[in-house]
Amino acid sequence: MPKPRTLALIAGAALLTRRALRRRVQGSPLWPLPALDPPISGRPRSRAWKLLLTAHETIADGVVRLRLEGPDLPRWEPGAHLDLVLPSGLVRQYSLCGDPGDSSSYTVATRLVEDGRGGSREVHEQLTEGMELEVRGPRNRFPLVDAPAYVFVAGGIGITPILPMLRSLPDGTEWRLLYGGRTRASMPFLEEVRKLAGDRLTVVAEDEDGRPDLAALFADPAEGTAVYCCGPEGLMAAVEEALPEGAALHLERFAPRAGADGDTEFELELRRSGKTLSVPAGSTVLAAVRGALPDLAYSCEQGFCGTCQQRVLEGEIDHRDELLTDAERRDSMLICVSRARSDRLVLDL
Amino acid sequence: MSNTQPRPVESERIALKARNVSFSWEDTPLHWVPGDPFTTHTINVLHLLLPAGERWFVHVYKQALPLIKDDRLRADVVGFIGQEAMHSQAHDEVLPHLRELGLDPTPYTAQVDWFFEKLLGDRTLPPGRARRWWLLERVAIIAAIEHYTAFLGDWVLNAGELDRRGADPTMLDLLRWHGAEEVEHRSVAFDLFLHVDGGYRRRVRTWATAFSALVFLWQRGIRFFLANDPTLTGAKASFKDFHQRGRQGTLPATGDMLKSIPRYLGRGYHPSQECSTAQAVAYLAASPAALAAEKREAA
Repeated sequence: MPKPRTLALIAGAALLTRRALRRRVQGSPLWPLPALDPPISGRPRSRAWKLLLTAHETIADGVVRLRLEGPDLPRWEPGAHLDLVLPSGLVRQYSLCGDPGDSSSYTVATRLVEDGRGGSREVHEQLTEGMELEVRGPRNRFPLVDAPAYVFVAGGIGITPILPMLRSLPDGTEWRLLYGGRTRASMPFLEEVRKLAGDRLTVVAEDEDGRPDLAALFADPAEGTAVYCCGPEGLMAAVEEALPEGAALHLERFAPRAGADGDTEFELELRRSGKTLSVPAGSTVLAAVRGALPDLAYSCEQGFCGTCQQRVLEGEIDHRDELLTDAERRDSMLICVSRARSDRLVLDL
Repeated sequence: MSNTQPRPVESERIALKARNVSFSWEDTPLHWVPGDPFTTHTINVLHLLLPAGERWFVHVYKQALPLIKDDRLRADVVGFIGQEAMHSQAHDEVLPHLRELGLDPTPYTAQVDWFFEKLLGDRTLPPGRARRWWLLERVAIIAAIEHYTAFLGDWVLNAGELDRRGADPTMLDLLRWHGAEEVEHRSVAFDLFLHVDGGYRRRVRTWATAFSALVFLWQRGIRFFLANDPTLTGAKASFKDFHQRGRQGTLPATGDMLKSIPRYLGRGYHPSQECSTAQAVAYLAASPAALAAEKREAA
């Protein structure tokens, strides 16, 4: 049995310690842990919102415009798109074509693709005013950069990301727009574009005017001209071909080319392991890598959990996931679904 | 059979897969258990701890994969990683909503980030024994934490009182989807621990670490929320509040929590002896978020 004096001393010390700790915690309530700077949590890659579909109207042959309303919507920059989660579960990206300053509604427009993968058909035929739709985003993979002059080339529904760009350009900026489509009746926002662009606009309706004259469009460009093109693959290939020297090209593709058709075989180098593999058309990068590195982590194999994200050192990536941010997409990919746009891809593995 | 070996219940096994869930929070009020900030914030601490914690699970398990020599366990761990990654993402999306409601969680979550990224991170260890020891220690800590996530998952699946109090349905679905997946994969972390080490002393040691850390972080989180909630003045957290809510059924009962301690420390313990996989599967078959995820994957 310890002496009463020892007990009193221990109790006294405990009280003093407690008081000191209390003071310390009161002075700085979250003492004693340090904080990570910059923090990681609380900055999710994207967020879901439920928006109310308040307008669903046909604005051109085969084109409907949707207006989605909600409170305090995040702001966006011209070129941004929204992920729409359709009632069937399909997720589709549509460019925002309304007013970026409007924080109570988003506007998108979509064209019905007859032999498409079903997304546009669902938007046209299944959606009705008054429905709630889940959206993610907005994100921007087609941002408007500062340039001394701009040339815009829009094919049909490809006008949607370009329209807010035209509205946002400061007065006095030098720009031109070539707006093409199959017929005038099938081209959305034609009147509005005409008002905005005046004599800077060339409208080419294929049934009346034939193919657009890209050579004339690109004649004597200013140094450092930024060329923005959104439209069908054929148009974008033609613009790439006709691009004058010194101009920077920015392309926006309508949709990732998903599914096995259109996939091509490409070469895959694992730089740190010193191995070169081949990824066949019907297979995935993950399958190829697992053959060489069986302990590599992965999980969902559908491009949403993010486990298989890997750094890409060389090659052009064909992103097919719905997870990564634009910054992450610059130098990394989800190897379970994404592929290469070039013939060769180098991973930091 | 001897009482000194873990005894798994084979019928509780199930193939694991991540679900591509998505929740939108704009309709969820600050006190999503109406009129009960204490319960709301006690459960809200999950959103503070899980984004960083489950990200850390994934980080550790990626390193543990090469140690696995059993194909069935490897498949389980692969499924586990994806589920944990989705849990981390789903809880992370609640935090900006709290910020918009005037309760900025960043001062606290930045500390939790430090806790998992730095204190429990890889550290600068020489390859070989030191690195392996630290990896095994962390695998064992995860097994201990998973004992509690399964306990909480089982509790929330059965917490009918929250429904009766009119708790926000989106939040309940997040908690129950998460809880059901925790119940589904409750054996994986412990199986991995048994596979790579399984030592009883390590089990006890890491349980003590995990339990103290959880209690420390949790009570701190509740106090942080109550002190910074813009609609409350002078709210204080007390153990009495917690005990009382446990008796009412809006939080786990203190007695049940105490009873779960000796179970984990029993030599014959295996997570498959607790909770019900069938109940978890039944919830996931009806969960709005899990159903939407299924549609998304089929589309």
